[in-house]
Amino acid sequence: MLATLDVVTLSRLQFALTAIFHMLWPVLSTGLAIYLVVLEAIWLRTRNPLYYRQARFWAKLYVLNFGIGVASGLPMEFQFGTNWAPLSEFAGDFFGSVLGFEGAMAFMLEAGFLGIMLFGWQKVPPVIHFLSTVMVAFGANLSVFWILSANSWLQTPSGGTFSDGHFHVQNYFAAINNPFMVRSVIHMALATVETSMLVVAAISAWSLMRQKAPEFFLFSFKLALIILLAVAPLQILAGHESAVQVAEHQPTKLAAIEALWDDQAAGSSPAWTVLASPDEASGSNRWSLSVPGAFSWILETRPQLSQPLRGLNSWPADQRPHMVGLLFYAFRVMVAIGLAAAALMALSLLLWWRGGLSAASFAQWPWFSWAWILSAPAGYLAIESGWVVRCVGRQPWTVYGQLRTADAASVLPVGEVLTSLSVFAVIYTVLLVFALYFGSRIIAKGPNLTLEPPPGLATAVILSDPSASA
Amino acid sequence: MEFLEWFMPTVWFVILALFLLLYVILDGFDLGVGILSLTSPSESQRTILMTSLGNVWDANETWLVLMGGALFGAFPLAYGTILKAFYGPIYLMILGLILRAVAFEFRENATNKRPWNLMFGIGSVLAAGSQGICLGTVLSGIPTDAAGHFIGSPWIWVNPSSLVVALTLIQGYVLIGSTYLILKTSGELQRLHVRTARLAAATTLGGALLITFTAPFASETLRQRLFDPAFLPFFVVLPLLGVALIVQLFRSLAMQQEVWPFVYTVLLFILSFAGLGVMVFPAVIPPSVTIFQASSSVSSMVFMLTFIGVLIPIMLFYNIYNYIAFRGKVSAE
Repeated sequence: MLATLDVVTLSRLQFALTAIFHMLWPVLSTGLAIYLVVLEAIWLRTRNPLYYRQARFWAKLYVLNFGIGVASGLPMEFQFGTNWAPLSEFAGDFFGSVLGFEGAMAFMLEAGFLGIMLFGWQKVPPVIHFLSTVMVAFGANLSVFWILSANSWLQTPSGGTFSDGHFHVQNYFAAINNPFMVRSVIHMALATVETSMLVVAAISAWSLMRQKAPEFFLFSFKLALIILLAVAPLQILAGHESAVQVAEHQPTKLAAIEALWDDQAAGSSPAWTVLASPDEASGSNRWSLSVPGAFSWILETRPQLSQPLRGLNSWPADQRPHMVGLLFYAFRVMVAIGLAAAALMALSLLLWWRGGLSAASFAQWPWFSWAWILSAPAGYLAIESGWVVRCVGRQPWTVYGQLRTADAASVLPVGEVLTSLSVFAVIYTVLLVFALYFGSRIIAKGPNLTLEPPPGLATAVILSDPSASA
Repeated sequence: MEFLEWFMPTVWFVILALFLLLYVILDGFDLGVGILSLTSPSESQRTILMTSLGNVWDANETWLVLMGGALFGAFPLAYGTILKAFYGPIYLMILGLILRAVAFEFRENATNKRPWNLMFGIGSVLAAGSQGICLGTVLSGIPTDAAGHFIGSPWIWVNPSSLVVALTLIQGYVLIGSTYLILKTSGELQRLHVRTARLAAATTLGGALLITFTAPFASETLRQRLFDPAFLPFFVVLPLLGVALIVQLFRSLAMQQEVWPFVYTVLLFILSFAGLGVMVFPAVIPPSVTIFQASSSVSSMVFMLTFIGVLIPIMLFYNIYNYIAFRGKVSAE
């Protein structure tokens, strides 16, 4: 076993493990922060203690999640130096700068105001507190921007030249605003909001099913549903746009996620494969279930392809991704979850519109509650699947078309990387179990329905006109 | 262009030093309080210690993230070489910081707080110790080839001198942590940490003296600089200032002052840091790779400076505001 594991594979496994684990936490740090801003705005506007309690309850989950996110983010940054030193040297001029910006603009902003947001209710005036919550949300979303810009640059490197083993930046703004950037940032930002709202809706549905704090959780549910209804259709559009940009810039990735082995001429109408068993050895699918003529409709919304598409077989084996089955199914899992969640939202809206959505509905229809409860883990699964498609599909390149993953990894003793990888695997498993345990304890305990707003604010209600101060 | 090729790496060296200094002071007291939490006599007292960190630990740790990103962007070669050489201690430090951060949040929600208390303390010791090991290894030098790539053993950091630096840094963090607690607590807890601070000041001083007198044996650069008249003012002024500050620190502790012990400790940290700077500059991978060899392109450094440079005062402003908003003693709620 040991002899077959080379250091590049181990470093890749370690990056994959730490990235997949890390990705679980920033979802709420960014998406739930926006929900907290909305709650606090409603509270300041209405001065109804219900909304103050909403903000305090959801902030409890926020902070539990936040600490693990910060801690698990550390190995992400340092791995570029420890395990990917040649990449650091190759692309440091740009890639390192962007990580530096992220630290200075995003992380510090988020961290600097988090303490006030969590513990400062009695320490600072309400306006400053609200501003702090806004800054936490803004900082978190700025890191989505920088991280996705940096990752997009790995997908579509631009803004400079490659010579003597280095990327030389000529235009920073072109490098930041590389072809993948805009659509990737939007897709990811929407994903964090959507999954966060699925989490809020799931926790609310679970509590409503058990008739715990029904008034409280019906409000949480409805507010999350409103945000979801705005976000989910946009996300379907953004997801489609992301697939289009893959078709434009990364033909090998597109071919892999569609298990497309043979070239397709412009003007043809290939079938769209729904399910298949890709076989890399023979360069074909063992079996497949497909919809005739649907491919160009899905990709280009037209009956025939406007551009020819290259199949996987037309690329040399060392210039295209492998693990075709993983890419094919990860993509389908993501899309299916996005569509199923949207359908659930539409159904809930229909119920609401027809007057059937009340706190009692959740106890009355357990299947309805369970559909919402399961939507939260599904949201995380969709995000992880999307990243698998994005980064496994980029292989064999770390910097697409420029730097191979095999050349980007540090030469390190196998034992060293195997040790750190094993420690991460153990620690992360334990952390995940305990995070879920403590998270479910917060949920089981439920909100404090008698919590009174800080006394300072009570006077503020009298002194200020609520409609002017929010 | 000639001027910029000298000026920009120097500016970035100074900025990185500033970030590292802020990290060492701020997360220093943070880690120090974490280590001290192991000795808390009761759960309610430990809660006060933890509360004193609640609003700041995350921002304090972010200076490390910031320094990492800035080092990556300004000196990519150094980022790769140093981190690769320190594979072991870097991952131990990350492990320590992860355990610590997670224990902090889990403890809040746990009924049985003991395992998380232990994890918080051990994580703090591990993070502090690993940082000391890295510092000690930097002082003895990192072997590189002509291109600046690491060529030493993966166990380069395992040696007695880095162990001494690690133990000293742990003591230093305990010192700054206990003076921070003198500032933030009152009554019995405050008196306890006056005693801890005295003890830690003595042990830190012992370690620092040992490092100071053995460093010239480990570092050739330092041996040359000791006898270089250009460096003479540093080698006269720094020790004199150091002695004065140590005397003042012990006096302020003896007089049971609240603010001054922390201030003198911070000044001592700054002074040690300046001493380190004199030993190392202009090397970024001591002893041989300079900031000019390891830097990214001038345009890259100018670009980073325009973004990050503007943000430095803003970051300092809201971090200071955070401390001001939570000024005064921590109460057990």
